[in-house]
Amino acid sequence: MLSYLLFIATIGGIYGLLALSLNLIWGGVGMVNLGLAGFFAVGAYASALLTTVGHAPIAAGWLMALVAGGFAGLVVTLSTTRLREDYLAIVTLGFAEAVRLVASNEIWLTRGTDGISGIPGPWKRALGPDFNGVYFLIVLLAVLVVFFVMRRIDRSPYGRVLRAIREDAQVAQVAGKPVLRFKTEAFVLSAAIAGLAGALYGHFTSYIAPDMFLPLITVYIFLAVASGGTGRPAGALVGAYMVMTLLESSRFFVEWIPGVTAVQRASLKELLIAVALIVVLRLKPSGVLPERVPPAPRPS
Amino acid sequence: MIILQALVNGIVSGTLLAVPAIGFTAMFAVLRFPNFSVSGVATLGAFAGYLAYGAGLQMAGSLAAAFAVAGVAGLAFDKVAHLPLIKQGALPAAIASIATGLILENFVRLGFGNEPRGYDRPIARDVFIGEIRVSPQQLETMGLALLLMLLVFAALAFTRIGKAMRASADNPELAALKGIRPERIATLASFVGMGLVGVGGMLLGLDSSIDPLTGTRILLSLFAAAVLGGLGSVPGAVLGAFLIGMAEELSVLVVGSQYRAAVGFIAILLVLTLRPRGLLGERAY
Amino acid sequence: MTTIRIGRRAALAAGVAALASPAVVRAQADPIKLATLTPLTGAGGPYGPVMAKAAASVVEEVNKAGGVLGRRIVLVSEDDQTNPEAAVRAARKLIDVDKVAAIMGTWASSVTTAVAPLCWESKTFLCTVSGADSITLLPHQGFLIRTQPNSKLQVTRVGEFILSLGAKKAFTMIPQTPFTQSTFDVLNQVLPKGGCTHQSLIYDDKKTTYRTEVDQALRTSPDVLLANGYTPDTVVLLKDLYRAGFKGKILGFAYSINQKLVDQVGQPEVVEGVYTFAPSPAEGSGAFEKVKAGTGSANPDPYTCQVYDHTNLVLMAIANGKAATGEAIKDNIRKATVSGGKVVDNAVDGIKEIMAGGKVDYAGASGPCDFDEKGDILDCKFRYEQIKAGKFTLVKIA
Repeated sequence: MLSYLLFIATIGGIYGLLALSLNLIWGGVGMVNLGLAGFFAVGAYASALLTTVGHAPIAAGWLMALVAGGFAGLVVTLSTTRLREDYLAIVTLGFAEAVRLVASNEIWLTRGTDGISGIPGPWKRALGPDFNGVYFLIVLLAVLVVFFVMRRIDRSPYGRVLRAIREDAQVAQVAGKPVLRFKTEAFVLSAAIAGLAGALYGHFTSYIAPDMFLPLITVYIFLAVASGGTGRPAGALVGAYMVMTLLESSRFFVEWIPGVTAVQRASLKELLIAVALIVVLRLKPSGVLPERVPPAPRPS
Repeated sequence: MIILQALVNGIVSGTLLAVPAIGFTAMFAVLRFPNFSVSGVATLGAFAGYLAYGAGLQMAGSLAAAFAVAGVAGLAFDKVAHLPLIKQGALPAAIASIATGLILENFVRLGFGNEPRGYDRPIARDVFIGEIRVSPQQLETMGLALLLMLLVFAALAFTRIGKAMRASADNPELAALKGIRPERIATLASFVGMGLVGVGGMLLGLDSSIDPLTGTRILLSLFAAAVLGGLGSVPGAVLGAFLIGMAEELSVLVVGSQYRAAVGFIAILLVLTLRPRGLLGERAY
Repeated sequence: MTTIRIGRRAALAAGVAALASPAVVRAQADPIKLATLTPLTGAGGPYGPVMAKAAASVVEEVNKAGGVLGRRIVLVSEDDQTNPEAAVRAARKLIDVDKVAAIMGTWASSVTTAVAPLCWESKTFLCTVSGADSITLLPHQGFLIRTQPNSKLQVTRVGEFILSLGAKKAFTMIPQTPFTQSTFDVLNQVLPKGGCTHQSLIYDDKKTTYRTEVDQALRTSPDVLLANGYTPDTVVLLKDLYRAGFKGKILGFAYSINQKLVDQVGQPEVVEGVYTFAPSPAEGSGAFEKVKAGTGSANPDPYTCQVYDHTNLVLMAIANGKAATGEAIKDNIRKATVSGGKVVDNAVDGIKEIMAGGKVDYAGASGPCDFDEKGDILDCKFRYEQIKAGKFTLVKIA
């Protein structure tokens, strides 16, 4: 049971990183990334390839994941930040699909749908069964570092500009803030964090394949950020663990519903996640940990 | 010759794609948020039509069933889940619509399982026009799609409510001043838009097969069509759908079928970089 | 002679001890936990549910007959969502919380590859139906068997069959899967030897029409076409081939071209003459009949038969090893098919025989279940069928 809980805590931490990544742009600037799974994949592949094919140390792989994720973020924003949030939503959704296609079809690079197995874990051989525990601490450390960076940003003048852009980009522009640059920077940083999360994931499970990065993950993370509280890093983290708990506990209680087939049970589980997201958005849009900055009066 | 054939194939699939694309873009024009639940609604429409057809209804009746079921479901979700969030901006509504899409997909899965199903229609050999091969059935389906589009255009152009819808999409404040009730326009847009999406799901399923992921498969192409033509522009969606349909078929010859799904994405990127408001701009009509 | 006597005496003692222990105690013993991890949603959704059902039917039978080692068996069924990420989480739960001794029925190769390390690290036994060559090459330390012949073997047989149809120009249409590359490699090797050229095309399995792909294939005027996808996309492909008036022979795998596909196409002419190919379930065998009865399916697919075999093999291994651990299953999985043993087609009879000190030779629903040291199935017969007037008719088993 303990190693299961450790495992869930680790995956929860990785979801937490993704939630922090999403929170930075959604809660921070009011942009959206429906292709979170794509950036997650880019980081996972970058690190996996560098450490397996390139035999580089794992730390280098993680650094590479940050860079690759950020670079992918830059590519996506270059064509869309100027534009509105709804376009960005569609573009990022397409981006995730494109990443999956490349990962499936460019076999020379990504080994295609076979996926990459044997991704090294740090000190895995030496640690033996303790690996899960140590890896959890590593993920926890990464989460804490990112968390404090996020909180720092949140409370800095930089964060205030981001929030100003979220509330009204035009006003921010008039106030002399280079809105486009701020938006791009935030998106790139966010994508880099998602990339790092991917790398941490790959080195934990030792295997990645295109099928792992389905859009459903993005839905989970949106639920995490929405339920935890948009605009507050601690909320994103709490939300990630709430979603993880929901995902894993639903496993246990759907078993008790009588008279349904396995397929129906599985679809009930997905239904539950989706309904939860809507209920949270409708009834408690500020999440369990609401943003602490009093919202500026909204122009009608 | 094979290029010409691919273009013809593209026009056929583009016509089918145009129906849900019109629905999506019309909703966007009025409600101002991208409604991602079109994937689930298209699936729902396909299954509603399937049930109606299986129950002995003719083609027209089945299409009407698909339209009605999808329209009602779409409207209900708009009222309950999406529109109350629109006050906070387009994003929360869009995110909620991803969830409602997932709900519909799993609702269908709950009832029908994952197995693909096919409409019980006779399959006929293709006929040749010159050296171009066309399927009589696909022509029939295409005819149905074109007829629907004509109806939509006629309604927008000539009926009072259609004109009101266009006015409201172009300038909601002005329209409201003129006594057009935005509530009613929104309701109509939801119902008709989602109805078209549902019919689109059925038309696409007629010649292939349907399962809970039917709508998800066309989602990206559908968005690409709408963005290419200009989000919110009904004629733009039609043009976009034809272009995406043809581009996807041509891509089979150029880069191979496996990258078909990327065509939509690349088209979106190109349009947004070169002509951000789409080929026909964002005016509703 | 002496050893034998001791053996008998020990067996007898064990039997007496088992009988002597009060029934209450036996019933109270912890149940043995086994798991299926099959795709209930996602791309594998059409296959997984009935697989889980097959395993459940075996467990039910064995429980009715008193379980194994005096313990009841509990089967936990999880959904891998045809998604390695979800599969890893599900497997972790099965391993750490349910503490299952074996996980059975992983279907997608990516899922199996993702789950396998968790299994061998935790000494949980894994039975899979995935065919990708790479799977048995993983460092699984014996904790893995697969009942599906690897794709190299399968495609080689397909190639030979294509040649036997007198093909001169073969064409393969296939979506991007872990088998795609090896299919091309093997066919490009096998077919030219028989004087047949081979061309191929990878298609997107999410498309709703394959008209242009079909045009592209038919431009090379092939005489045999291998349709190598899964059911949903193959339905569309076969319809489009029919519409295009393709006159050559069509060949496909039976896991995709099956009764469901024929029903769904609805029109016998479209699939008339199509050949199908499958690792042969031992049709007509007792085990196969049991799969039919247990799943309520008149025509169970090879995967379902294989999961039925997984469950029986694992239960008999537990009986042979006298312990319900992954380790015991690993050490005894090959003892359920000892040549010269009593031939059985289900675990109930097998366990009875083993408990009586005998040896068993399990004749599975998917065929004989002998494995090499890598965990690959040794002997596999293939079954070739042809659709005639909407019915599958046997061409040959070889």
